[in-house]
Amino acid sequence: MRPQLDILLVEDNEGDVEMTRRALTTAVPAVRMTVANNGNQALECLHKEGKYEGGKTPDLILLDINMPRMDGKAFLNVVKESTEFKSIPVVMFTSSESPADIRECFERHANGYVVKPFDGTEYAKTLRQVVSFWGSTSELPS
Amino acid sequence: MSAATPNRSEYAPGMAGATPPCILIVDDRRENLLATQALLRPLGAEIITADSGEKALTLVLKSEFAIVLLDVQMPVMDGFETAQLMKTRPSMANVPIIFITAISKEDHFATRAAQIGAVDYIFKPINPDILKSKVSVYLDLYRQREQILQLNASLRQSNEELERFAYVCSHDMQEPVRMMNAYASVLTEFAGDELSEDSKRYLGYIHDNAVRMQKMIRDILSFSRVGREEVTLEVVNCREIFDEVVHELHDTIARKQAVVTSDGLPILKTSPTLMRVLLQNLVGNALKFQDGSHPPEVSVTAKREAHVWRFEVADNGIGIDPALSNRLFTIFQRLHREDDYPGTGIGLSTCRKFVRLCGGDMSFTSRPGEGSVFTFTLPDGD
Repeated sequence: MRPQLDILLVEDNEGDVEMTRRALTTAVPAVRMTVANNGNQALECLHKEGKYEGGKTPDLILLDINMPRMDGKAFLNVVKESTEFKSIPVVMFTSSESPADIRECFERHANGYVVKPFDGTEYAKTLRQVVSFWGSTSELPS
Repeated sequence: MSAATPNRSEYAPGMAGATPPCILIVDDRRENLLATQALLRPLGAEIITADSGEKALTLVLKSEFAIVLLDVQMPVMDGFETAQLMKTRPSMANVPIIFITAISKEDHFATRAAQIGAVDYIFKPINPDILKSKVSVYLDLYRQREQILQLNASLRQSNEELERFAYVCSHDMQEPVRMMNAYASVLTEFAGDELSEDSKRYLGYIHDNAVRMQKMIRDILSFSRVGREEVTLEVVNCREIFDEVVHELHDTIARKQAVVTSDGLPILKTSPTLMRVLLQNLVGNALKFQDGSHPPEVSVTAKREAHVWRFEVADNGIGIDPALSNRLFTIFQRLHREDDYPGTGIGLSTCRKFVRLCGGDMSFTSRPGEGSVFTFTLPDGD
């Protein structure tokens, strides 16, 4: 298991960002979390532009679907079609349980699809499980 | 007579039907055309004339007519031949044709006219009042049919809008409700020790109601998904789905010491989602609507009838008051207090909507205090 996991959280809802931050303070491995509020910002982050200059390429992307400007599916498309970024695991983290959304995300090569649990405790537990799983897989080749 | 017909613009302002209906008069004699035209003008329809069968045929290609008055005896192409050719056009199939003739009152002409699809056969000299009242009847029928078509179209549209509204609403409402619930629990966890008993109780109310609202949103979403999402038909082993549903309900069954049995459940081509939704709801309801005085007994059976499978879910529960039975399948209708029998009142309406979409139907019989039997049919899929 790696000592630290760099996560990019793409999420427009402040409440969810806060919940995720709280949940991941006790995650194993330790998490360094960067936040983007939509797909456009997330792309800036991947390209280390603007406020993300000097950052690190994330080990894992947690991606919401419904967001303003570039939504989760559009961002997923860009990532999985790019030779540079397609190997970064992307886990959808969304409140949508729609079969159509689930199917579309997997068709666009999402590496996982997790429905945000309704219960606060479950929410934190699920996030820590996701981090633990991806933290124990081998590191991305550089 | 036309005064009794409501103005179409009241139903659908600005829609295509607001134009007056058209009458086509076909006669090779100009003076006849003029006379009939003058006679029918007060009926308020637009009148178009043709002095030959060929011209009439060209006109029916271009316009839609409410009624055609056709002279039988015309040079080149007579009325019978003209009518026959008109009737080959799909748009003309339901347009009434009235033959007008001076030649013969013999039966075989009238018979031939009827075979071609004429609705009437009028003899010259024309009695103006009779012709006027006959045409007026067909114009009214045409107007009424147009109204129904328009009403259907606008109903369909508003139904689609409503369903879309329900979908978008419930989909977007999930997020804030989840957030309310999450932060109520964060607060409880965060400030638990500092909170007074009252504050803890109030946070509990927020949590309980958020959970209830989430249940409603999920149910509305599944209701509105029926019909929005494509139904895929597969070979479904109903017995397997029954076993899975019973497994899901295991805790309730054990707690209530219920006996749930099945008999004759078929393998048939249908929607697996439909079968699951039906069994989950009907078996779930059968276990829920019990007064606790005896262990629930639920049986799910199926038998094949001509072209359909008939499923029955029978229970020994509290039954349904016949006076309330017509409300049972209506969305959001709950016949009991939330405290007595929790639920959102969406389950059965989703079931019936889904069954009907798949070509079946749903009904029930019940004796209050003794139990209910819910029946649904599904096409046998052959």
